Amino acid sequence: MKPFDPVALATPAFAVLVIAEMVFVRFTGRGRFEVKDTAASLMMGLGSVIIGALFAFLFVGFAKLIMPFAPFHIGWSWWAVVLCFVLDDLRYYWWHRASHRVRWLWADHVNHHSSQHYNLSTALRQPWGGVLALPGLLFLAPLVLLGFPLEMIAFVHGINLVYQFWIHTESIGRFPRWFEALMNTPSHHRVHHATNARYLDANYAGVFIVWDRMFATFVAETGEDPPRYGIIGQIASFNPLRIALHGWVSLANDVIHAKNLREAAFYLFAPPGWSPDGSRETSDSIKARWADVPAE
Amino acid sequence: MTAQLLQILLSLGEVALMVGLCFVLFGRAPAPAAEAFDARLAADVPGFRAGRRAVSGDGRSILVEDARDGAVYLAVARGDGVVTRKLSRATRISRDGERLVLDLRDFTLKRAELTLADASDWEARLKGLAA
Repeated sequence: MKPFDPVALATPAFAVLVIAEMVFVRFTGRGRFEVKDTAASLMMGLGSVIIGALFAFLFVGFAKLIMPFAPFHIGWSWWAVVLCFVLDDLRYYWWHRASHRVRWLWADHVNHHSSQHYNLSTALRQPWGGVLALPGLLFLAPLVLLGFPLEMIAFVHGINLVYQFWIHTESIGRFPRWFEALMNTPSHHRVHHATNARYLDANYAGVFIVWDRMFATFVAETGEDPPRYGIIGQIASFNPLRIALHGWVSLANDVIHAKNLREAAFYLFAPPGWSPDGSRETSDSIKARWADVPAE
Repeated sequence: MTAQLLQILLSLGEVALMVGLCFVLFGRAPAPAAEAFDARLAADVPGFRAGRRAVSGDGRSILVEDARDGAVYLAVARGDGVVTRKLSRATRISRDGERLVLDLRDFTLKRAELTLADASDWEARLKGLAA
């Protein structure tokens, strides 16, 4: 069975919805758009699709390399697709959490967080890392080793990505409690994109927010502390190439200037912001300081 | 190959249309208000207390001291937002009359130019940081 590509099918809808949100925001003021920021996000999205297509062979090659080690092979059936979708979302949670906690992965993923705006165009601001973000492939291994067909994994991952598009908006408030308890929503994902100390390193879910509740990374949005979007140390460029490379340039600079191999390894694998003398801020140190400072 | 190229060109056209529509609906980003600089500094530097400050002639950049420890921050407008950087001894400073040039060695913010009436005072202050 050869399934369709959900992302390719949804792309025209992405464009229509971005336009619809622009018009909605213009007339209601519920959200923010800025021309240069939107242009950068859309170009990042286009570049990511091109680079993704160029490096798709890595995904396929890695999967084919480990596939013979799968103890059994699951065929196409409705329950297999549902199970694969749920397990792929769990895989996404851990990949996403690692992408925020391991500098090597963050160097790529940081691009998605680099806008100070939060609208549907931000969903399309995707990294160009390709071959540089190879360790991320390891998170694919469990599903392949469980015996799910590669086409099924790609299919459910596509649906996962399509789901995540619409949650990048300030135009939608909150859903009924049962939905917010189960699913990732605009409210939960605004928290994920926020730089406020209370919101750092939270809500990594793709589709089901239950993973965050289960693994103690869930934080609810509060009206007392509206999210401020972007990254710690906001970038100052709208040039897609600079946006795509800034995390890698910063990482390479630190690794090259490391005093020894141990230090280089920490720069690669420790959380973003780690430094040998502790002079830089990590999300942990920011949160610890925030917890110590009483609210005014 | 031709089909893929055509697809990329069509996608570029689509992006151009959406950016054009964004411009029609929202126009050019106005320079952030003075409060936006303070709000960004307060968000980026917990406990920040503004001390001495200087606003560039174009209103798009400011230098401001943290009254607590004397650290100096640059805040520059980018689009409708503000980006801040703590100035350190790695910052190269040069001055031409009222024009102060900061070479930040930062991949997304290489240089900042400010036109300040008291540029020489700030030059001395910033070079003092580097001492």
